[in-house]
Amino acid sequence: MDKKYKLVQKVPKTPKSAYNHHRFISSLIHHQLKHFNELEKSLLKAGKKLTDLSRIKTELHASKYLKKMTALLHPQGVEKPQKTVRRKKVRKAAKVRAKSKQVKRRRRA
Amino acid sequence: MPAGLDKLKHIVVLMMENRSFDHMLGGLMKQNPRINGLTGNEVNPDMTGTMVKVQPNAKFQGQLDHDPDHHFPGVDLQIFGGTPPGAGRAANMQGFIKSYATQGTSTNASRAIMSYFPPDQLPVLTRLATEYAVFNGWFSSIPGPTICNRAFAHYGTSFGNVDMNLFYIQDPIPSIYERMIQAGHTAKIYYYDQQSSTMEIVNLLKNQPKIFGSYKQFIADCNGNTLPEYSFIEPCYNDHPGPGGGQILASDQHPDHNVREGEKFIANTYNAIRTNPQLWETTALLVVYDEHGGIYDHVVPPAVQSDGYSASAAKTGTGEAFNFDRLGIRVPAILVSPYIPRGTVVAGPEDPNSGRIFEHACIPGTVTSFFLKNYDNRTIREKNSQSFLTPLTNTLRPDDDCWVFAV
Repeated sequence: MDKKYKLVQKVPKTPKSAYNHHRFISSLIHHQLKHFNELEKSLLKAGKKLTDLSRIKTELHASKYLKKMTALLHPQGVEKPQKTVRRKKVRKAAKVRAKSKQVKRRRRA
Repeated sequence: MPAGLDKLKHIVVLMMENRSFDHMLGGLMKQNPRINGLTGNEVNPDMTGTMVKVQPNAKFQGQLDHDPDHHFPGVDLQIFGGTPPGAGRAANMQGFIKSYATQGTSTNASRAIMSYFPPDQLPVLTRLATEYAVFNGWFSSIPGPTICNRAFAHYGTSFGNVDMNLFYIQDPIPSIYERMIQAGHTAKIYYYDQQSSTMEIVNLLKNQPKIFGSYKQFIADCNGNTLPEYSFIEPCYNDHPGPGGGQILASDQHPDHNVREGEKFIANTYNAIRTNPQLWETTALLVVYDEHGGIYDHVVPPAVQSDGYSASAAKTGTGEAFNFDRLGIRVPAILVSPYIPRGTVVAGPEDPNSGRIFEHACIPGTVTSFFLKNYDNRTIREKNSQSFLTPLTNTLRPDDDCWVFAV
């Protein structure tokens, strides 16, 4: 937010421990998958196997299947992978470390 | 027509998951007696016959990890306390703990269904409910689960379905998105991302992919002033890795997903509209929940005009057919606009003189009436449904009088 507002309500952060993609899927997600599976049947090419939903146990499994099916039906929604800041930081830190090692070596020499 | 309606160009509906009115907003009655929440003396019997009072001890996560039953027979038990279907039985809202206990939860754990959040635990929902308009009488459309209730938000009917099963549209009732587009208007469903996807799958995603967008697109549309006239937003339904190695948390508030993440999602959606002055003055945002998720609410669901469909006894699982003439359990619903006076409470069934009943058929009903005026191809129930835009007045609140969220 660039503009300054008079009335600002702080929103507490969700704890990191809330994340659990190994959580077993709920009845809601199970039915969402069943609906997509029905669509998959109608879109299946000859010789291809239908996804076995009994193998999808966790939210992570479900999200992978949903991504595959949604990409098929709605390719407009594909998100390009973002470059991570963390990697840049790591690279930067590695460069700094390498430089300081070089300096030490030179000093020793 | 009030200026608020005259200036209105966009309606945005955000539909969350599975929380009852009393669970999320019931605690507000102590601050504002016009809000039909909890006195603190509401009770339900547990499996030992002990009467258990509602408690302000709801947790963000981990309390309802055993998903409370909200399928048709389970909700029937919650509403009628276990009295089997038959002439003359009366709804008493006394079967919530019994219902949760039948799912294998311990006596102690089953009492958690009576828990509610103190208002300060939900700063986003509380702020919106007290700053804009809260509906005392917004009910889920069916005493049943998600898919059929969400269908009412898209079509004004579930075409006779009371469960989660797949159904194809066989009757000529177009979705609200199709109606809008056919008439030269704009409308979109924004799902969170591809890993979460949409709950409106078979009829729309397969046949009308153009009406879909991602939440990222919604934010871009808000920033770029390209928001459609009608938008429906779906939260994230599962935890999954994000692009670039991040973690995306479910924001739907469906038990046992973290309620705080849902608060953050509501805040982000509100901020996207609030921080664009052009959009803020021309948009109404409705935050509503699809159904109660098996969690306690004290208000008896009222009768409603049937949508003309019937579900057989075999489909309902209660031994009795259902004619779509009674609503489901009450859910939180809040309307946001700078044209709404602070502290507006829309009276519900507690006020026999001026109270009004809302349900999800009001969503396509209001959007259709507002943008398309007369439109015949819909159920009589939707046609006669209440407009949720009535809290909009002539007076625009000053910008400094409206909050933003620091997320």
